[in-house]
Amino acid sequence: MIPELEYAIYVWSSYGIFAVVVAWQVLQPLLYRRRLMAELREEQALQSGEYDDPNP
Amino acid sequence: MIWKTLKVGFHRLGSPPSFYRFSTLVSPWLWAGFALCTAIGVYYALYVVPPDYQQSDSFRILYVHVPSAWQAMAGYVVMSILAAIALVWRIRMTEIMAMMCAPIGAAFTAICLATGSIWGRPMWGTWWEWDARLTSMLVLLFIYLGIMGLYAAFEDRRKGARVACILVLVGLVNIPIIHFSVEWWTTLHQGKTIRIFGESSMHYSMMPPLIWMTIAVKLMFGAALLDRSRNELLTQDRRKGWVQKKLIQEELK
Repeated sequence: MIPELEYAIYVWSSYGIFAVVVAWQVLQPLLYRRRLMAELREEQALQSGEYDDPNP
Repeated sequence: MIWKTLKVGFHRLGSPPSFYRFSTLVSPWLWAGFALCTAIGVYYALYVVPPDYQQSDSFRILYVHVPSAWQAMAGYVVMSILAAIALVWRIRMTEIMAMMCAPIGAAFTAICLATGSIWGRPMWGTWWEWDARLTSMLVLLFIYLGIMGLYAAFEDRRKGARVACILVLVGLVNIPIIHFSVEWWTTLHQGKTIRIFGESSMHYSMMPPLIWMTIAVKLMFGAALLDRSRNELLTQDRRKGWVQKKLIQEELK
């Protein structure tokens, strides 16, 4: 049973909003963690003197 | 024996490296559970359950609206319990977890308000009405945003968390207002449809997707909370030995 055309725009847009917010809840921590880990690795490399500067 | 094991396990979670290990292990399973429950729930909601005799297909919106509304309120209660523990016992992990409940709760409140508004347009003939249920839900969104803003405003994260935890406990008064708003005032929003104790006015054939979606959003709340708390912990402890050790271990993998 697929939503009738009369209400389809309302139903699908609601499920779309839910999907977008859920995707953001999954992606935001992943992206943040990736950026944070890169920063931490860079800091560690700087401290140990092994930092390979991409723009010397 | 079980009680003692649980107690020891709970205390161990207060240790940042233990919490980090626990969240890394548990979070993917919660996300998997969420994906499975959502797939089943959405399939039932859109393709199996018959249309409502009055609302036709528009009632299918309620399968994302109602679980989100419940989770927005349940998330606030969880945040309040964590905030109370954080204020009384000063456990840093509970402070972090309390603060990380706010963006997830705000997301569920936003879903609830947006989907409710979309459902209201064809059913009530209006996108928005300043009725008690809708307004108190909007206040909940502002409280969540206020907590996030207050926490972010302090450079000292622990101080920020303690101040925000007080706001969390003050804002708890809004939860019973949301719950009982449809009984205390005459509202455009309908009264209770689903009752745990007593007969629900929703037909049982329409229940399965609601149950699946309710379980799904609870699993998602748990997964997102663990992910965000782990990130916040890493940010706060970035100069500490256990994080440096973890980085070296991950480099070696």
